[in-house]
Amino acid sequence: MVEVRLSRRSFVGGSIVLGALLTNVRFAKAFVAPSLPYKRKKIANIRDLKTHKPIMFNYPDENSPAVLVKIGRPAIGGVGPNRDIVAFSALCTHQGCPLTYSKGRFVCKCHYSMFDPAKNGQTYQGHASEWLPQIRLSIDSRGNIYAEAVEGLIWGRVINLLPK
Amino acid sequence: MALFTRKDRIPIPPKDAQKFTAVCQYCNVGCGYDVYKWPVGKEGGKKPSENALGIDFTKQQVALQGQSIVENMYTVVTDKDGKQYNVLIIPSKASPINRGNYSIRGGTNAQATYAPTKPTRSRLHYPLLRVGDQFQPISWDEAIDIIARVVKGVKDRWGPDSIAMKVHDHGGSGSGFEDNWAVGKFFMVAVGTRMLSIHNRPAYNSEVWGQRERGAHELNYTYEDARLADTIVLWGANSFETASVFYTEHMLPNLQGATIAEKRKVFKKGEPAEPARMIVVDPRRTASVTVAETVAPGRVLHLRPNLGTDYVLANAIARAIYEKGWHDEEFIRKRTDLKTFEEYKKKSLMIDVPYEEFMRRVERLTGVSKKDIEKAAEWIAKPKKGRYRRRTLIVYEKGVIWNYKNYDTIASIAQIAALTGNYGKPGTGCGRQGGHQEGYVRPHSRSRAKLVGSIYAGGPPPNIDEYVKWDLRSKVYFVSGTDPYLSTPNAQEYKKRVHERTLALTKFLSEYATLAGEPAGSEERAKRILEGLDRTEGLFLVVINMYMCETARDAHLVLPAAGWGETPTTYINCNSRLLRIADKFMDPPGDAKPDWWIWGRIATRMKELYEAEGNYEEAKYCSGMDWKDAAEVFEDGASEFPDNRVSKADEAKLPAECYKGVTHDLLRKLGQKGIQTPVRRDPRTGKLVGTKRRYTYKFGTPDGKWRWYGTDPWDPDPMKFYPPEITKYFKNGNDKKYPFWFTNGRTQIFWQTGYNDRYLPEKVYTIPMPYIEMNYRDAERLGIKSGDIVEVYNMEGNCVAVVYVNDSPPPGTVYGIMYRFHESLNHLTTSYTDPKTTIPWYKASRVGIRKLSGGLEHVRKYTSFLPINDFS
Repeated sequence: MVEVRLSRRSFVGGSIVLGALLTNVRFAKAFVAPSLPYKRKKIANIRDLKTHKPIMFNYPDENSPAVLVKIGRPAIGGVGPNRDIVAFSALCTHQGCPLTYSKGRFVCKCHYSMFDPAKNGQTYQGHASEWLPQIRLSIDSRGNIYAEAVEGLIWGRVINLLPK
Repeated sequence: MALFTRKDRIPIPPKDAQKFTAVCQYCNVGCGYDVYKWPVGKEGGKKPSENALGIDFTKQQVALQGQSIVENMYTVVTDKDGKQYNVLIIPSKASPINRGNYSIRGGTNAQATYAPTKPTRSRLHYPLLRVGDQFQPISWDEAIDIIARVVKGVKDRWGPDSIAMKVHDHGGSGSGFEDNWAVGKFFMVAVGTRMLSIHNRPAYNSEVWGQRERGAHELNYTYEDARLADTIVLWGANSFETASVFYTEHMLPNLQGATIAEKRKVFKKGEPAEPARMIVVDPRRTASVTVAETVAPGRVLHLRPNLGTDYVLANAIARAIYEKGWHDEEFIRKRTDLKTFEEYKKKSLMIDVPYEEFMRRVERLTGVSKKDIEKAAEWIAKPKKGRYRRRTLIVYEKGVIWNYKNYDTIASIAQIAALTGNYGKPGTGCGRQGGHQEGYVRPHSRSRAKLVGSIYAGGPPPNIDEYVKWDLRSKVYFVSGTDPYLSTPNAQEYKKRVHERTLALTKFLSEYATLAGEPAGSEERAKRILEGLDRTEGLFLVVINMYMCETARDAHLVLPAAGWGETPTTYINCNSRLLRIADKFMDPPGDAKPDWWIWGRIATRMKELYEAEGNYEEAKYCSGMDWKDAAEVFEDGASEFPDNRVSKADEAKLPAECYKGVTHDLLRKLGQKGIQTPVRRDPRTGKLVGTKRRYTYKFGTPDGKWRWYGTDPWDPDPMKFYPPEITKYFKNGNDKKYPFWFTNGRTQIFWQTGYNDRYLPEKVYTIPMPYIEMNYRDAERLGIKSGDIVEVYNMEGNCVAVVYVNDSPPPGTVYGIMYRFHESLNHLTTSYTDPKTTIPWYKASRVGIRKLSGGLEHVRKYTSFLPINDFS
């Protein structure tokens, strides 16, 4: 039985069931993301965003580069009025190289994996066997965009939250 | 939000985790993997001293230097001891081949493992017997007894050639030298049939006799050569997608100039060492072309010949080289047979035709300009500054192997390398890229049936697809480790016929049962099967596989095979002939068994049956297959190799796979380092030594010299050049009905038919159905967009596919993925095979295209249709 209980934070745009998974011990044991106590972090305001102009930020800590971008087409997990604002870990899941955003997708210049930000970070070409970890976003009534959690393992870690 | 379950942590292997050596089960590259296994509930610490990997997990790892450990590399398995274990399968940094790099296929090795809690639970657990339209689980004893009795009965009555097969001959996916040896011994010795065919094609043949009969095995270079070459030629090989790590780990650094220091170490004094150039010969602008263009603009040449004209193009490049005087005269004189060289010049280079006239004809037929042909000649052979010879590595694969005139095409390409002295030296070589890895060892010397080579060596071999389709003398058909309902050429007709014939037997058995009840035991069942084979056009089909594959749907018996990691197995990779062990780290599902065990049991049961009737002669041929373990099979296979106590120069005389003297235990000690075949026993020291690079001193011919070959004459008029299987598409108005050329190939995303990949959510979303690529211009004209669903059809068959619109195929040509999970664009390939080799021409037919109204919303929503060949 999945225990239906709201998590510590409210999830704007998230579902109650997914929120419940966060606190469910049995599922957390299976490492289903998000299984860790991610902290909410404000990234930007919707006014700061221009289509195809990515904003770099770090999440969940300063050693984990991430990217927020308005891609101009509806995206799986996208927020905002057009559901086209998404955020991802900016490290290639293949061997950890930094990703470049261009032509509406992410390209890794080390071994040329490419990820589609509209399709859940799908590796549509290249070596990366793991889709890009998507960062769960929320947006409040003032247009502030927050990172809420990371769905998928960030390259170079066995646990997304490193010990302090 | 995620489309499927993601993880944000995975357990760390503790210090006492078990460690195993593994080699990827998928492509030709053969990346090394390290397997860690430890009980569920235990976990190592984050400090380097607290875990099996010695990694500091308290910190973010550094890109490229760090160890890649991603979600897909972790899983939980259940062993026969009833306990659950964590399993981590990570790319090995100790492997010289991948050095920690890995591909989208190998990165999921852990997900392909069997687990009762995962989709791989659909692995076959028990032998299945068809009764009417159902499959019933039966015991191994019962299944083996039925097969042994039927095979023996058919052989005794109709002769050994009534038993046909289509079986893997390679390494990876749980099969290697062990399974191949057992299969060979079963069919060649115990049964003695010549009706054999190899997993991906209709006959039992080499795909590259055109090179082998010149004196060079197709695996002759080593991965270092891709780092040292001045020019890399990819001919009909989309290596970025189908030899991914070989391309990015070894070719790319060379293109980028990152291997110049390595070049300086082995090049001659004063010899220029520069970043490599790359020539890609492919009708499509593949990712292999565009990645190279991205990293080395100006140093990539892309030739796009018309389909099927590659041998003419290869000869034209050779002619240009010869015309300009860039051939290697010393090499030709010392290392090649000068008598046949004259024939080569006359027939292949057509030196009697004036150069300009020759080039005009070539341009007309191939569609490649003289300028580009001469540029390719220059890049392959024009000596470097200081008159040092260019070091050129030519890597070719299915684009030319499965081409029109297989024999002549392969010979033509291989001869460019001989003409330019590009064998046996650092940075040179000419050979296959490979599809899968190799594990070929078969008892040719003991075969009871005469096996033939190309038309120049007693052949060509019989076409077994045609044999089982139309010749009622075929009675029993084994299909193992392959799924020809998807993968054989002209697949739709093939599966219709195999279905009709297997159904004829099934109907007979059902009617029999209606009258007399189901048989009481395997002996009576075998009797009825034999009666049915006599009285109907029936075919008794036995499928051995890990899964209920497409072909299995018509089988009478389905036997569950063990897979990768479930039995120790050995194989060599293609870029270096590097032999390693892919060790057993878990148990197979249910009662699944290794292939070698299955073949051994059938043979042994046949032996008992022959002994029982006093036929000791036949019993003898079925003996010696009751092996106890995989190591014993491996060593039994070594008995086929000649004495390998030979000099360094005489490596050329050894079979490419020769591993005589090597044992599983030795390979466990060698680990990722492995040993490169052919393995010799040094005559002086008595020690086993590998062969880094082949044919440095001589070729594999009786006199050690390269044997030239003059290719067939050709007509520059396409209608006189192509065979009837193609020209029929231009007659009687067919050119309007089927206005597109059709060619096919693979994708980086999944492996072969996707027998494992179909259970991975990433793959199912990314490749939701078969796809075609269509040029923007054609798409615009037909009103087709990326994500639309179309029917592709021709006089051979049809298939429904989703469309990617991009600039990869040239206008007028569509490209399709060969097959995917349950569907196959091989329905569209013709039944043409090269009369010299019986190798099919998968790569060209003609098709019509019809858009299906409405499309599929789910596909449009979840699949990415961004161009897969644009990296800029």
